[in-house]
Amino acid sequence: MHEISIAADLSSIVLETAGIEKLSKVTKVNISLGQMVQIVPDIFEFAFREAVKDTIAHGAAVDIEIVEVRMKCRECGVDFTVNENNFTCNKCGSTDLEIIHGKELFIKSIEGE
Amino acid sequence: MKNILDRNQNKANEVRDLLISKKVLMVNIISSPGAGKTTLLEHTCEELGNKFRIGVIEGDITTDRDAQRLKKYNIPIVVINTEGGCHLDSHSISKVLDSFDLDKLDILFVENVGNLICPSQFDLGETFKLAIVSTTEGDDKPAKYPMLFREAAAVLLNKIDLIPYTNFNYESFRSDLGKINSMIPLFQISCTMGDGMEEWYEWISKKMKD
Repeated sequence: MHEISIAADLSSIVLETAGIEKLSKVTKVNISLGQMVQIVPDIFEFAFREAVKDTIAHGAAVDIEIVEVRMKCRECGVDFTVNENNFTCNKCGSTDLEIIHGKELFIKSIEGE
Repeated sequence: MKNILDRNQNKANEVRDLLISKKVLMVNIISSPGAGKTTLLEHTCEELGNKFRIGVIEGDITTDRDAQRLKKYNIPIVVINTEGGCHLDSHSISKVLDSFDLDKLDILFVENVGNLICPSQFDLGETFKLAIVSTTEGDDKPAKYPMLFREAAAVLLNKIDLIPYTNFNYESFRSDLGKINSMIPLFQISCTMGDGMEEWYEWISKKMKD
């Protein structure tokens, strides 16, 4: 259910940015969502659409790119994609890892006219 | 690229800076409903209340029942009712910090809304997150909710006295947790029976002295 409050923050940023850029209509919002972030894309998108009803972003398309979890091993330096929450280096077996991708929750770009 | 959670993050950074300047440790306690957050706080206040100055922020959807349970320890407590909201955020914490005399606190426990998913996403400005899991919930929680177990500074496995009455498999739990966060300290405790509580008191006391 936290999707609703995060979508409210998203709508504020989109509308504020559209104001700065002097857009009369927002047509598309492009988002990066890391796989570790526990957000259900459909609910998030629905909540955003509801939040921007009656604004210049009404009806804007939402494109959510899911970013897979990637880790870098602090022991051997290899970076690799994590499958099924097995946070173990697939080269040396170390569990001393740094998350390099998978926690994204970014607006990549906002399209409009 | 703009972080969607910037608004929460910026306020969390302010809270963190303030707490560091006041030398207050803030612990964000996250668990499912009924895992034992309030019971842990009751016993911790009882045991450490005369050694450290403890404050509590109680996050609940509604009611002040948890706060009522802690009243007898004569510590500053503020209740945040989220009125349906499934988590606390940094703005709600920032608003209530004024109610505490931070110069007279060593540790501020934040009992988040009972929920393993939503609270893990929101930085409150805490020093660290603490995850509590109880054996009656099953042994699959680390595998199902990796974010919390990756980010928490420690895990308390509560209700270990009830293991014989459940199908909880400790080896499986430990193995899943190890895959997600091999470094994380794990305390096996029973808040009601007292098992393992000494280790927890020792660990949290050390954190306060650090």
